[in-house]
Amino acid sequence: MIKIVRIARESFRMVKGNRLRAFIMMLGVAVGVASLTMIISVSRGAYEEVMDIVNRQGPDLLQVRPGTDRHTGLPSGSREVVSLIEEDADVILQHVGNIAAVSPVKDRKEIEVKYGDKFTLSRIFGITPVWAQIRNFGPSKGEFISEEDLTFAARVCLIGQTVKKNLFGEADPVGQSIRIKDVPFTVKGELNWKGISSAGRDRDDRIVVPITTYTRRLFRDIHLTQIVITVKDTDEIDATIEDVRNVLREHHNIAPGEPDDFAMRTPQDLIDLAYGASRALINLLTGIAAVSLLVAGIVITNIMLASVSARRSEIGIRRALGARKNDILHQFVMECLIISFMGGLLGIALGFGGSIMLSSMDVSASKITPLALVAAIASCILIALIFGLYPAKKAANQNPVDTLRA
Amino acid sequence: MIKIKDIEKTYTKGSVPTEVLRGINLLIQRGEYVAIMGTSGTGKSTLMNIIGCLDKPTKGHLELDDVDVYKLNDDALSSLRNKKIGFVFQQFFLLERTTALDNVLLPLIYTDKYPADANHRAKKALASVGLEDRTEYYANELSGGQLQRVAIARALINDPDVILADEPTGNLDSRSTSEILEIFNRLHKEGRTIIVVTHDQAVAKHAQRILELKDGRIAENDTGSKSKN
Repeated sequence: MIKIVRIARESFRMVKGNRLRAFIMMLGVAVGVASLTMIISVSRGAYEEVMDIVNRQGPDLLQVRPGTDRHTGLPSGSREVVSLIEEDADVILQHVGNIAAVSPVKDRKEIEVKYGDKFTLSRIFGITPVWAQIRNFGPSKGEFISEEDLTFAARVCLIGQTVKKNLFGEADPVGQSIRIKDVPFTVKGELNWKGISSAGRDRDDRIVVPITTYTRRLFRDIHLTQIVITVKDTDEIDATIEDVRNVLREHHNIAPGEPDDFAMRTPQDLIDLAYGASRALINLLTGIAAVSLLVAGIVITNIMLASVSARRSEIGIRRALGARKNDILHQFVMECLIISFMGGLLGIALGFGGSIMLSSMDVSASKITPLALVAAIASCILIALIFGLYPAKKAANQNPVDTLRA
Repeated sequence: MIKIKDIEKTYTKGSVPTEVLRGINLLIQRGEYVAIMGTSGTGKSTLMNIIGCLDKPTKGHLELDDVDVYKLNDDALSSLRNKKIGFVFQQFFLLERTTALDNVLLPLIYTDKYPADANHRAKKALASVGLEDRTEYYANELSGGQLQRVAIARALINDPDVILADEPTGNLDSRSTSEILEIFNRLHKEGRTIIVVTHDQAVAKHAQRILELKDGRIAENDTGSKSKN
């Protein structure tokens, strides 16, 4: 058995022999490591949630909305703001490079929809055929709106899964006739399932119709609620945003220095928005982790210093029996490492438990990752080394004669 | 052989120097049984610490088996203590919450090469002091005499040349004292060098030679009762 293993065994025996001291030291580390584990889990959870949103929306998606929120610069979505028209979509397509597809969009919510004696309120979207590709909203059944439907303002629609459930139950809606605002529409297909949006909106409670039909047969709106754009090369997305902005400003005759009368939402805005919710929690946990780990370190230093004083005769007899200064140093550092590591394990368990709890209470998404495990173990090793070294050195440098004096 | 030459030791407390040892010259042959006597504060424990390489004198030389001890660095001194010297203290200095066996094994932790038969050796050492049935007893479960016997077993585990005992019977009753002194007698007969620091004449008389320390000097260098007998 090599010497360092013998000393490690001795350290373990000493820790075992002083359970209360070890437990107090462990608790400090456990709280710090638990906070750290939770930060990483919550951060990872938030990141994955954001990336899920971005992926669902598409990392190549740009949205232009009328008006500007004065505070955030993000689209206000206010119906009173009327700055975008269908021509804007054409101008973007014609004058901006790196554009894969553009679709103007009009929508109104809580519109009366009937099928036989069934009734529901739903959101109606007026779109063009490329919208399906832009928003990844292909039909799960039937066919999507065609160019022909658009040209002839056909009274056809596709319904979302919630609308289908409300009006048709389990029955097949394709080919059936529904009434939107008392105008008859033939259901051409079902939209694929999308679930709840990051804003908590049911993305399946919608009906899409050709934008021409929307304008001519349902609502006389000439203004758009948004223009959706996909870019070809996402690496060039920033330049494309700037180009779209310049084209629209020019088209809207906005003088230099005047603010835009539209706002653009990019994938980065989505990331910022989604992160915003988790940021406060992450900041709080970071603060708790930093303070806890510092306190844990101070507790380790204090208790170890007290322990060095209380164990002077033990240090003395070990030195008398042949322990080198380094042997004593190693023993005390390893005691700190053992205690800190055990505290770390407790902290990991608490942290993962806390993360699962936050997730289940819908406070924040969290994801348990190997990174959290590695960071937790690394932090407890670091704490032991940083805060245990001084007391260990003090122990090693004790004069054996003084320590053995009665 | 232990050769002590012109050893002086001065402690300084604040700005006041106190001379504890004032020129000690001493030769202790291998296998000798020596008692160092003196009243409290005469420097006998200081001398023992210097012989045991735990302390360094202010001046002078110490040779252990022709090795100039003060030419060794701290690690080498630790190694020398581990191999050549077995300590027995008045306060026993056994580790609490540790069995007799583990206490005896303690010096082996610091050896360069851990013996394969460590446990066997420790049990043998405990048996040699009559504690073969107490190997798994914790320190708090043993009497004073038994604790000191464990300490002696610990001192013997590395088969040292010299046993240094500082008031080994100071905390023991007369029966335990007799037992411990009997063990020292046996160890001496086996050929070990024994140096006992004591203020007790009854303990000292077991030695071959009695050194009387007075005011930091060897006042009397007497042959003990053993050699007289």
